[in-house]
Amino acid sequence: MMTQKVTDWVDERLGIAKGGRSSLNKIFPDHWSFMLGEIALYSFIVLLFTGTFLTLFFVPSSHLITYHGPYKPLDGQKVSEAFASTLRLSFSVRAGLVMRQMHHWAANVFIAAIVVHVCRIFFTGSFRKPRELNWIIGTLLLILAIVNGFIGYSLPDDLISGTGIRIAFSIVESVPLVGSYLAFFLFGGNFPGNSIIPRFYTIHVLLVPALIVALLAAHLGIMYHQKHTQYPGPKRTNRNVVGTVLWPGYALEAGGFFFITAGVLAALGGLVQINPIWLYGPYIPYKVSYAVQPDWYMGWLDGALRLMPSWEIVAFGHMIPNVFFPAVLLPGITFTALALWPFIERKITKDDRVHNICERPRDNSWRTSLGVGILAFYVVLFFASSTDVLANTFQTSLNFVLWFFRIALIVLPPASAYVTYLITKETQKNTAAGQRKVAMIISRDETGNYSTVDAEPAEDDIHPAQSPVPVPEEAAYLHHNGLVVGSEEQELVTVGDSNGSFTRSLESELPPQRSGGSGVFRVPRSLPGSQGGFFGGGPRRRGRGQRHGDQK
Amino acid sequence: MSLFQSFPRAIRSGGAALAVTVLVGVLGFVIFYPSQAPTASVPVAQPSTGPSSITFSQHATAPAITYHNPSKTLVPEGRTLFVENCASCHGVNAAGSSRAPNLQGLGAATIDFWVYTGRMPLADPTVQAIEGHPRFTRQQTLAIAAYVVSRAPGGPAIPDVNLGVASLSEGQSLFSTNCAACHTITGVGDALANNVYAPSLYGVGSTQIAEAMRTGPGNMPRFGPGTLSNFQVASIAKYVLYLQKPQDPGGLSLGHVGPVTEGFVGILLGLGGLMLFGFWIGGRAAR
Repeated sequence: MMTQKVTDWVDERLGIAKGGRSSLNKIFPDHWSFMLGEIALYSFIVLLFTGTFLTLFFVPSSHLITYHGPYKPLDGQKVSEAFASTLRLSFSVRAGLVMRQMHHWAANVFIAAIVVHVCRIFFTGSFRKPRELNWIIGTLLLILAIVNGFIGYSLPDDLISGTGIRIAFSIVESVPLVGSYLAFFLFGGNFPGNSIIPRFYTIHVLLVPALIVALLAAHLGIMYHQKHTQYPGPKRTNRNVVGTVLWPGYALEAGGFFFITAGVLAALGGLVQINPIWLYGPYIPYKVSYAVQPDWYMGWLDGALRLMPSWEIVAFGHMIPNVFFPAVLLPGITFTALALWPFIERKITKDDRVHNICERPRDNSWRTSLGVGILAFYVVLFFASSTDVLANTFQTSLNFVLWFFRIALIVLPPASAYVTYLITKETQKNTAAGQRKVAMIISRDETGNYSTVDAEPAEDDIHPAQSPVPVPEEAAYLHHNGLVVGSEEQELVTVGDSNGSFTRSLESELPPQRSGGSGVFRVPRSLPGSQGGFFGGGPRRRGRGQRHGDQK
Repeated sequence: MSLFQSFPRAIRSGGAALAVTVLVGVLGFVIFYPSQAPTASVPVAQPSTGPSSITFSQHATAPAITYHNPSKTLVPEGRTLFVENCASCHGVNAAGSSRAPNLQGLGAATIDFWVYTGRMPLADPTVQAIEGHPRFTRQQTLAIAAYVVSRAPGGPAIPDVNLGVASLSEGQSLFSTNCAACHTITGVGDALANNVYAPSLYGVGSTQIAEAMRTGPGNMPRFGPGTLSNFQVASIAKYVLYLQKPQDPGGLSLGHVGPVTEGFVGILLGLGGLMLFGFWIGGRAAR
């Protein structure tokens, strides 16, 4: 076969069969919450594709030109080239607007997925040894994503985002001692200047994406190397991974999920308007619009700015600008504490063991309660970002909304932590909580007595409540070495027997069986229906739910 | 067992995902595509006046706003209406009382604005007057204005805006400078301070817009002739009317309130929808 020849040719020179085979056989555990990071990853890929398209038309320049384009309400006005090119993207470039909107929606979903992913990792204790490094990398990715989101949002140079840059300038200025130097260094002079748009552009399309790609590679590489965590369950131990094999199972699921993510983002980009900059108009420093919010991921910082009382704090004879506390100190503490959390928790628990099994949130009351409390703090800040819109929507006083959030910021975190603590304690007692309910058949005999028996699982039930069929030692060994076991007939037989789990012990990683010095695995002729080489081996045409079961 | 079911679940998921993606993509493209057309016309209040890129010289040829006081013949009717509906607070001679301000010299435009937007008669004097259905017909409103003007002359008369000579672009620029700081750049309005708000500009006519600028109702500043010319006022009115039905491509607009609604859609619909798909693919942990 041609494929066979090509792969053999490549393998004899690069020796990829061994690594390739074991990579394709890599097991990934299945759980919906493990897909959150994937949403972020795929959104990021969509961001790269759509962003590349946008760079073809966007002009990163503050140079003022007279706008003469299809959007008549701005005809004849002086606008920056950045703004004019964004208008051109939106009105004149074919598919330009849908690309811009997809890019913006993808950014919103990207960061949302990261945040929920972080919550999943936190509440299941997946950051514990040996995954502290990946937690720190993840924190850096979150920071970079937020920073790049804000910068990208600012690039069109419209009235709303320009106000955001103005606020950012003041925030940088508020840093004691070095603030004004820092702000002038970043903006190339006083606000607004002509440098910030081109500088933001370079940061947005080159610097930060490169950092994100590098850290993402490390993030995934470490995850791959350390193997994914899994939830406790039958046959799952701290030293194995139960789940779906990479090829042809998990890779197809992941590929399908990428298309779903791209599809949802394309649907949002095509169907739901985001950031109609033509209605906002160009940014001119003396103009301002009310109801200016940043994109959602900056909301908690905006909310903190809104809720901060107008205190003037004087230290060492110098007034520390009020803005410094909510906009510099708060994110500083937030991200430092977030990055160091595995070590903080280690200090408290003195737990130095390796954890490959996720902890169910209810099983760790104090961490879950603390996490919910802290989360409540940021959720209140997030909602406080929309004080004016909420007051207007619910036709109530702005001051009332402001004070509501100020009080909620203090009351809600401990209250929600306490309620969470009670819930976790309660659910710990009930071991069946959250478990899959088994259908029951209720029958009544002649004497009038009722009795119940468990119903048979439905034919299409993908999670039959059965325990997995253990893999015989021999089969596991052969499978691991890229040797297919069993014939097609046997595969069909084993489908119904297993419940979708395949155990592979990390301890049983035996030395590979080499044939000659080429590194190519040759399949013993005694095993029928098998092929050697890169693509030939392994469980063919098997997704989840078909693992080797009984051998005859 | 059908052929489809005989495929591994992963391939089925992938195939179904592809199908959904293609469907969504096609749907999105089809719905989105028409809005791409750059020929979409800008709504102009008086289409007969030609292109909206109007040069500044044109406002010299035709007056952008003509002001006129209501006919004096309406004064008797206005007096009756005023005594019945207004005098209990503003006094019979519209000179004000401890409950309500003096209306003398405020001009017909002030009376017309407050009455014709339904703000007067006031239901609750302790909160900001709320716009609503007018309690009086157009002629009754003019009659009340005529009566108040007959008590004391002065103040702006009722403006009649000639949108044809106004400039949409000039209006956009002036609106973003003078109005957006309270009414927001899209004109949806917003809460300002303790029970004070800038009302939405949707659903008001050019006369009311000009009256509001010329008289400064409530907390709104007054933009007199020394601040904004008639041409500028007419241009702002033209842009406000445009904002009520703007050129708005890109799909479903989320209320024009900015990133707040966008954030909710992104998190709930975007991430939430994807999490449902993830649940479909990933499933729950085996027990």
